[in-house]
Amino acid sequence: MTADEAALARLMGAAQQGDRQAYAVLLEQAGRWLRRYFARRVAPQNLDDLVQEVLLSLHRKRATYDPARPFLPWLAAIARYRWVDQLRGEYRAATQELQDNDAVDEGSEDAVLARISLDRLFARLPAAQARAIELVKIEGRSICEASQRCGQSEALVKVNIFRGIRKMAALIEKAQ
Amino acid sequence: MKRTTDGLIAQLANELQPVRPLRWRAGMALALAAFAMAALAVVALRGLSEGVAHGHVSAFFVVANGLLLLLGLAGASAVIAMASPNVGAQHQGPKWALAMVMVLPVAAAFALLGSGSADHSIGGLHAVYCIALSLATAALVAAALVVWLRQGAPVSAPAAGLYTGIAAGALGSVAYGLSCPVDTIAHLGIAHVVPVALAGAMGRIALPAFLRW
Repeated sequence: MTADEAALARLMGAAQQGDRQAYAVLLEQAGRWLRRYFARRVAPQNLDDLVQEVLLSLHRKRATYDPARPFLPWLAAIARYRWVDQLRGEYRAATQELQDNDAVDEGSEDAVLARISLDRLFARLPAAQARAIELVKIEGRSICEASQRCGQSEALVKVNIFRGIRKMAALIEKAQ
Repeated sequence: MKRTTDGLIAQLANELQPVRPLRWRAGMALALAAFAMAALAVVALRGLSEGVAHGHVSAFFVVANGLLLLLGLAGASAVIAMASPNVGAQHQGPKWALAMVMVLPVAAAFALLGSGSADHSIGGLHAVYCIALSLATAALVAAALVVWLRQGAPVSAPAAGLYTGIAAGALGSVAYGLSCPVDTIAHLGIAHVVPVALAGAMGRIALPAFLRW
């Protein structure tokens, strides 16, 4: 069962007051939510690391949550920040292609969740930048492979990755 | 050995301590306190200008400093909001306030067109003092905003740095303006707006490194 927005906000409010039980439930629910949130946009072998990074960030920055505001847009902003951070990180050569069954069922997302999704960040990128990032940073292909697949030169793939990540970093809160 | 997510959750829950949520009002109070201290420091060190002391200021003085004050408050408000991230936040306020302040240098340029000596109209060496001392005053406000941002979780460090600089520059300019004896539009529109642009550029370049987390 997945907790809804109001329940998560209540749990976070209780966690800020030091309620460890509520916090454990919140982190568990947030972890599940993050797995769905990152699906299709993170290579499977990086997913655990990224979810843990976001949970650690949530813990360190828990005072920045305002209990009067919705919880998920706050968590999504942290998740996007850490995700862009990871995209910036070193490319790992040994990656595997995303499997079709990793795709999330978009029909189950409601309008609010769709607004804070990672797809909204990608949608703001020019197609060439989004494709370069998908191929190299998410699917884990080499620059050379990506160049052959998308028809961009290797230099252009690198430039598009750099510019795309920079643009997404500037849009973390704005893209919805 | 890699830790599991369940193990991490158990560890974090076990380490949990109560925290006081960052409130926008508390952040604004900090920014306003820094602005008040900056203004008091200016008055203590340089005294009030004749016009301000006797309530005889020009309309240009009121318009210029009113716009700069609004820009400073809008910028500070955005910076404080940026400490608490939220998908959907646009932080558009400072852009409109900045656009309004940019009317001042345009008005100054028109004023200079009809004047004999641009250097004299702007204030000569005094204009350089205004810019330098406004920036020095702005540093106090900038420090308060950076302290707040470092407690928070800004997800766009370049934008946070830029807005911090703009807010601090505008409030620093207003604080220093209390002691500035020149209240012509040519002087106010240039010597009191340039610090905003300089502080914004400095914030954009220098602050992101301190704001990443």
